[in-house]
Amino acid sequence: MSMFRSKKFDLGCFANIKVIRDHSKRKAFEAAEPERQALRYIIRNTTLPQRTRAVAQLQLTQMHCYTRPTQIRNRCIMGGKGRGVLRDFKMTRFNFRMQAVLGNIPGVKKASW
Amino acid sequence: MNSAPLLRPLRSMLQGRLQLATATTRTARTALLRPATQLRTNASIASEPKAAAAAVDASAPSTTKTPPPPPSSNTTPLDLEAAATEKGGELPRMPRSLEALYLKPLRREAEFGVPSCDLQLRSYSVRNLEFFCDFALRAAYYCGLPAYGPVPLPRKTERWTVPKGHFIDKKSQENFERITLRRLIQIRDGHPETVQVWLAFLQKHAYYGIGMKANVWEFSKLGVGKAMDENAAEVSKLLEDKWQHLGHVKKLDGIEDIEEFLATERTKVSGGR
Repeated sequence: MSMFRSKKFDLGCFANIKVIRDHSKRKAFEAAEPERQALRYIIRNTTLPQRTRAVAQLQLTQMHCYTRPTQIRNRCIMGGKGRGVLRDFKMTRFNFRMQAVLGNIPGVKKASW
Repeated sequence: MNSAPLLRPLRSMLQGRLQLATATTRTARTALLRPATQLRTNASIASEPKAAAAAVDASAPSTTKTPPPPPSSNTTPLDLEAAATEKGGELPRMPRSLEALYLKPLRREAEFGVPSCDLQLRSYSVRNLEFFCDFALRAAYYCGLPAYGPVPLPRKTERWTVPKGHFIDKKSQENFERITLRRLIQIRDGHPETVQVWLAFLQKHAYYGIGMKANVWEFSKLGVGKAMDENAAEVSKLLEDKWQHLGHVKKLDGIEDIEEFLATERTKVSGGR
């Protein structure tokens, strides 16, 4: 969805279309989060009339899918892969291993115990 | 020069494949191989001390030609040393502040022992951490703060196991680990402002690869709640301007207002659909 994409390229890591898409999803979610939370509150508030809550429910479902937090997926900063990404280093397992062996990750050593 | 490492590349050298990096090693190795080149290698070896001697000759006059320092000027450490040796006694004692650098950091005694600051230092390397702990203790002494520690806190070991290859073959894996070392320095009976100054000083001279985290406690007189209530009016005045920028400008009272709000916001949220 190009309407969420920034006009100017704003990424410093490896970039392909999947990475850019994920980035714009993150930004869309961040922008719409207060609205989502307000609607969620209204939906769950049992003191409000049923109609109000139903309206809020409809509005929440009509929001764009890019504003959902479940759309966000961690991707590798070195290769853009979506699977096997270590959360601590934002890298795929293989990229992590290469960087760790080269000594580019502070404090990470080969372990032996 | 050892002969053991020289024996290994013999075959490739005989075939003329290996290019050796330095001239001296090449001559030495060829000397081992072929006695025919003995003369040449000898010559090259013999030429080296000559060059070295020449270098010494070149450097020696410059040192001798330097004029001796004027006796009336500032006395250098060398002069002091010479004077001490002439006397036959020991070296003159260093100033106390300088001597303290070679000794354990000085400490001040806490009178009451009430903790006022817990500083936790974290790093991946022991060397840097120990050095900076020492620095922090010295800084605390000269700030007049009673410091205790460094207490070695438990290490945090994180381990990751990843397959060696980028594709299948889960059987061959590799382990990596990251050990975070922690030290705790506690300040007792410190004045809050002095503690702030000490922390700012440490932050200004922050060492690479070391993280710092400080818990600071302050103590005040009894009746804090009353004092805060008195201040509440002034604070709320200050906050009024800020609140205007947050949330809804209009207050929502009752169900009708919320319905109206939802109706007006609907176009915004759903993008006019």
